[in-house]
Amino acid sequence: MKNLRQEFADTMIEIGLEDTRLVVMVGDISHGILKGFAQNCSGRYFNIGICEPTIVNMAAGIRKTGLIPVVHTIAPFIVERAYEQIKLDFGYQRLSGNFITVGGAFDYAQLGCSHHCYADISLMCHIENSQVMMPGSAEEFRTLFRQAYSEEKINYFKLTENPHGIELKNEIVVGRGVKIIEGGDITLVAAGPQLRNAIFAAEKLKKDGWSAEVLYYHTLKPFDGELLVDSVEKTRNMITIEELSSHDGLFNLCLRYLNGKVDFNSSQIAIDGFVHGYGTYQELCEKVGLTPDNIYQKALRMLK
Amino acid sequence: MNSDLRVLIAKMVHKSREGHIPSSFSIVDIIDFLYSSILRYDLKDINSKNRDYFILSKGHGCAALYVVLHKYGFLSDHDLEHYSLSTGILGGHPDMTIVPGVEASTGSLGHGFPTALGVALGLKIQAMNNRVIALLGDGECHEGTIWEAANIANNLRLGNLCAIVDWNGSASQLMPRDNLGEKWKAFGWNVWTIDGHSGDEIKNAFHKFDFEIDGTPNVILAKNIKGKGVSFLEGHGQWHHKIPSNDELEKIIEELKE
Repeated sequence: MKNLRQEFADTMIEIGLEDTRLVVMVGDISHGILKGFAQNCSGRYFNIGICEPTIVNMAAGIRKTGLIPVVHTIAPFIVERAYEQIKLDFGYQRLSGNFITVGGAFDYAQLGCSHHCYADISLMCHIENSQVMMPGSAEEFRTLFRQAYSEEKINYFKLTENPHGIELKNEIVVGRGVKIIEGGDITLVAAGPQLRNAIFAAEKLKKDGWSAEVLYYHTLKPFDGELLVDSVEKTRNMITIEELSSHDGLFNLCLRYLNGKVDFNSSQIAIDGFVHGYGTYQELCEKVGLTPDNIYQKALRMLK
Repeated sequence: MNSDLRVLIAKMVHKSREGHIPSSFSIVDIIDFLYSSILRYDLKDINSKNRDYFILSKGHGCAALYVVLHKYGFLSDHDLEHYSLSTGILGGHPDMTIVPGVEASTGSLGHGFPTALGVALGLKIQAMNNRVIALLGDGECHEGTIWEAANIANNLRLGNLCAIVDWNGSASQLMPRDNLGEKWKAFGWNVWTIDGHSGDEIKNAFHKFDFEIDGTPNVILAKNIKGKGVSFLEGHGQWHHKIPSNDELEKIIEELKE
């Protein structure tokens, strides 16, 4: 299974060679794997240093001259630390650009909460003219980036260190959700890497005679509400599975689209606050209930 | 010292009940000089690829920018008359998406200068010889992004970038160790200190360097007077964001005409 960060580096070379407007700016991470881009696209790679707000400002300035900026560093340091720069210098000024992060939600599980980021998707959705994506595989990133990078949009790509490992049979298109498993009793809605847990839970439910429909979202904005409404109209039960803030993430998005259209039961598995402590990504998932068994138990309670 | 532009600023602010008169009086002479003698632009093609870029990083001084853009043909009488009104395009901070000639929507301090740095880098990448000038406040120099940007500009050798600091003493009210020259030198910039209300000194400063695309960036520290030209506006008192009454407007105009 290809690592998304490596795919990011490879995609930058591929597109950078085709499109000389592409400029990559990093905040002193990933410089090893981006050597290829630096060599192949000479003069368009900048390891600016550890000064994220200024990197975002610079990217806006670079865009003003007609180039296409790609800003890359760890999620909280761009989205939370430099949020005003994204909001004003890209959003308010109606400039387009690309932000590609790693580390969210708690991929840096051993580094503690300073390196976690649960609200990036929500924050980026607030920015006017943004497209917000959390691809769960290398192929998804490559395809989505190619479709979006030169659009007049503010594109946010949150790269996971834990790809879901599922090969999507449907076409990958920005803004389009994917029905992974057809079912009639309950809708399990997953974003990014959590697709894997949703599928395992659906398989467990199947053994008990329940039929779960699994919907997958690699793009949260624009959001494919039609796919969701069609499914929940049928099942009348929904659980969202997301490694995002419980206060404003996938669950809230779903409610917005379903509100007034369908009577349904709903539940959410998400992150409710700082996930203190250390360990592996898997261990932190378990801490907040992002496990197949927890999804299964919640579904059973809802169905019974 | 340009009195006519100052009268226009005062009238605009008085009419709309919004604006920063002293900050605008502090920088209006420099901006006027930039548009008359330094910046290259084409009124028939305002967004021409060959234009020079001027970014007002201290966005609250924008009344000064507006009257200069009006003087040189970017803005109409109607624009100035409708300043800060819903019927116009000019507000208390400039919006690049609706105001011709405004290169950056500033207001929150510490954004315009690092954006200008990005413009300078974008031009350098493309080997274009446009010049980039950012005007920032000395109070704005309290923002960390100013020094992040200063550090980067020197390291990337962005000689096509010039910063002008409106050194009117706002910063030293809070932090009296106001050694701006030493700070900019320490960050590797060429530093030129002038009287920012003297046409000759502004002119001489710009004769001292070329905007080399691969060179040391230059900063002009303009020793300005906040509220320059009107005795009771000068300094750092209540007038920072105060709107003149009818009588006060008359006095402002009277002093400026003397």
